[in-house]
This record gives sequence, C-alpha cells and structure tokens, in this order.
Amino acid sequence: MLSEERRNETVALDGTASERLARPDIRSEFGLETMDMNMGPQHPAMHGLLRLILELDGETVMRCDPVMGYLHRSQEKIAENRMYPAVVPMTDRLDYFANIHNEHGYVLAVEDLLDAELPPRAEYIRVLMSELMRLASHIPSIGFLMLELGAFTPILYAFRERERIQNFLEAITGARMMFHYFRIGGVKADLPPGILEEISEYLDGLEGRFQTDTVDLVTGSEIYVARTKGVGRMTPEQALDIGVTGPPLRGTGVDFDIRRDYPYSVYNELDFDVVTDDAGDVAASYRVRIGEVWQSIRIIRQVIEKMPEGPVMADLGRRLRPKEGDGFGRVESPRGEYAVHVVSDGSDSAYRVHYRDPSFCSMQLLQEVVPGHYLPDIMPIMGMIDPVSGGWDK
Amino acid sequence: MAVSMPGGDVASRLSGYLDGLKNRHGLEEGEVEGNVVRVVVAPESVPQVLATAKAQLKVLHLSFITVVDWEGSFELTYELLDLRGGTVRVKTVIEGTEPVIGSVTSVYPTANWHEREAYDMFGVAFRGHPDLRRTYMWQDHFDHHPLLKSFDISTKRTFEGLR
Repeated sequence: MLSEERRNETVALDGTASERLARPDIRSEFGLETMDMNMGPQHPAMHGLLRLILELDGETVMRCDPVMGYLHRSQEKIAENRMYPAVVPMTDRLDYFANIHNEHGYVLAVEDLLDAELPPRAEYIRVLMSELMRLASHIPSIGFLMLELGAFTPILYAFRERERIQNFLEAITGARMMFHYFRIGGVKADLPPGILEEISEYLDGLEGRFQTDTVDLVTGSEIYVARTKGVGRMTPEQALDIGVTGPPLRGTGVDFDIRRDYPYSVYNELDFDVVTDDAGDVAASYRVRIGEVWQSIRIIRQVIEKMPEGPVMADLGRRLRPKEGDGFGRVESPRGEYAVHVVSDGSDSAYRVHYRDPSFCSMQLLQEVVPGHYLPDIMPIMGMIDPVSGGWDK
Repeated sequence: MAVSMPGGDVASRLSGYLDGLKNRHGLEEGEVEGNVVRVVVAPESVPQVLATAKAQLKVLHLSFITVVDWEGSFELTYELLDLRGGTVRVKTVIEGTEPVIGSVTSVYPTANWHEREAYDMFGVAFRGHPDLRRTYMWQDHFDHHPLLKSFDISTKRTFEGLR
C-alpha cells in the first residue's frame, strides 16, 4: 500500500506526451529507424477484435492507427429490413456490456416518432434496469483495467458482483445477457414479487464489499498508481474535439451527463450528482467510475422507494406505423453518449436507423492521445475508454 | 475548468442560436421546436454554418452525422449539442447519386470517423477530409456501399480482382 502523500504526489512526466519523442535530428544523425508493428486483432488487451497498426521509435509509439470491422454485422442494414419491434433484440448485440442502454436508446427514438405516453411504473422499471446494468458494467471495467496491468484479483471480485447483479437481471427479464426486455411503449413484464426487497438487501452488502474489495484494493495499489497516473492525459478542449463522452470526458473536468442535461425517462425526478475529476488521465476516469457506482446505488435506492403501482405497458396498437419523420433517442450508457436516430417513411419498418455508439467515437483518442506514450501504456488507455467490440463495430 | 458551459435558460439560448445562424448565413428555413433548433441549409454552406455554431455560438459537441439515402438524393443530419439541454440540428440535401460535400473535420475534429463511416456506408465523398478511408469494409477489392438502398441484401457479392 502507498502512503497518502505518495499517492497524491504530482505526476513525474512533464510536458505533453508528444514532446517525449526522439528529436528528428538525433534520429537522422544516428540512422535510427522506426518499426511498424501490429497489435491484434487477437490480443487479450484489445477488448474484442481490434487491430492497431503501430509505428514505434524504440518503445515509444509514434503513430497508432486502429483498424475496425472484424465484428461488423451491419446492424443498421438489418434494422432497415425488420419491423420496428423486431429491432429491439438486435440492439442487444451492439454493446454487449450495456444491453439495456442500447434497447433504451432505440425504444426512446421510436416512442419519439409515435409520441407515446408511458405509464410511470414502466419508466421507473427502466431506470432501475439501466442503473443495475451500469453497476454490472462499471465494476468489471475497473477489474479489466487491473487485469490488463497484471493484477488478477480485482477481476474476480468484480465478476462476483456482476454475477449477482446478473442474477437479478435474469430474474426480471428471463435472460442473462441478451435481455430483450424493453418494448416500444413499456417493458415486457412486471417485476417478480419481492425482487425490490432483495435488490435493496443486496445493495446494503454491495456498499461495504465494493469499498473494501475494489476501491481500497485498487486505489492503494502501487501498480495502479504507477501505470495510470499521468497516462492518457487530455485537456477538456481536446476531449470534446475528439468526441469523447462518458467517464473519460468527465475525468477531464467537463461537467456533462445526459441523465441530467438531456433528461429522459424519469431521471429529472431523481436526485443524483454528476461525478467529475480534473486530472484528465486514466486514473481520473477510474475515480469517476467509482463515484458513479455510488451514485447508481443512490439512484436505485430512490427508485425502489418511489416505485409506483400500475401497468407497465402503454397500448400503442398491434401494428406500429409511426408518422413520417425523424425520431431521436439519447441515453447515458456506461461508456458515454449513446444516441439513436430513426427515420420513418410511414411503413412498418424503419427507413434508416443510425446508432451513435460511444465506443466508436471515444476510440478516436487512440489516434490523438497514444502517440508519445510507451507501448505498454496502450492497455490502460484502452481501459480508460473501456470500449466494447460489438459497439464500435455495429 | 477550462471549457465554459453555456448559462441561462434553454429557450432564450436556442432563439439566440437560431438568430445567429439566420443572420450570418441568410437562412430561410429554421425553427425552434422543444429544445431543438432545426435549420436546413444548402450543402455548400454546411462547413461555414458549423464553423459559426462552434466559434461564435459555442456549441461544442458534434454528436453524430446521419446519412439517409432517399434514392436520388442524400439527406445529411448534423446533430450538435451545447451540453446543457440545447440541440442544433443542421440538415442538408445533396441531389444526385454521387454525393460530394465539404468536410467539417477542421471545425469538429470528431467528425473524422463519422465522415469515414458515411463514406464507407454510402460513398459520400467529403472534400478536404484528411484521411478518407473505409472504416468497416475491406479497403481493396470491394466496390460497394452497403447502406445504399440499391444494395440488395439477397444478392451475393464478389470481390473484384481477387481470386
């Protein structure tokens, strides 16, 4: 464990990352050459199938060029050829660590086209599911970072918690990962009896276990501090220019959360804080994730307290034929801003569906931020974005 | 915090955005609906309109670019967020089947991959883009743009020149 002052000492690396590159005149004087290297597509730290073309100067990365498309399934074309309700299970396959948020974005966009009014219980169930899913995504993402840095223990604790949350999700939806629980106009089924008490009881235990098994374990770890502090540092302007959203953006100090600034569902009736940090590096994004876990627990408690009675599905008719025009849905997924744009031509299947996936947009920072870092710094930077292959490849 | 967030209430801010865009670019179509400013502009003036939105009106975040193939024309939607509840939605229509439009990467660098994706899926050529390559599909031997309506999913595709 590190002492408190050692943990808070300023970053040893001065200047921007690109200033640490070897100077071109030295390179030509000694006849130094750069080396091209491929990282991936099959690589344990690549969060799925991603190939990085790297140009190396010694161990310093000079150019990083991500090559995508190894998991491309053309979900947008599939969505054009299915009726509106049949697209919901396909959205589960996009970002498979935040399935609920994908479904939510899509059903919000179609409900925007239909001007649907939802029963309040359906909205509260949606928020409950979203926040459970956020817990089940944030806690393992902290474990994944440590796994990539060489520490094996946190991922075991993280997956223990994810497993228990998945048991709740399974009890509610009937599926472990590909839920297909949200419907256009509500949710599939009401909550099973007694589940709210069980979730509440679980959260009491989670607070203590998350503090001891993840926060205390990770924050004090010497590996964690040495490998994340000052790595992948961005300024707020740079982060906004690159298009980063979610925890990495809030880690630079930009106070932006879709749940508060573009409220959907019943988030405007709930009380929560937007967690920010101003270091802008990998460590900052992880402090934001830890803070968001506490906020999610707080939101779930409020939802359990306020959960209204009533139906969980609005009556929108058997056949959905939205009016012509555009529908937009935008949600805060664990990775950032997830937006869906549905264009209707008045028939019973969408004319065009566009997904804005946060993994895809945030991964542009690999091109901008990685040059100047050492090769092993790519793993924590990937951990900062926490991208999901199904998300960036659609 | 280095980035200044817009203040005031959303309604007055949005009418400010609409007036700013209309006055500087002589736009005819434009309205405020809910928390969204919608403007329709000619394809030639898209980079200038977005430059105004970023530099003068401080709308800092480009959320996404959607392309819709209306078989004969292409509709592009640029979704801009001011990060505090306001949205500016810029639409443009490019006539013809070989769309060309100016790139906005110099204004919003995040447009880089969004435009690459639009080029990959629809064949929209973005003039002035620094690195217009395909994102998902094969770089060579594949001459199709799969999200075009003329791309029939039941037809088997071949890779020209590849055995």
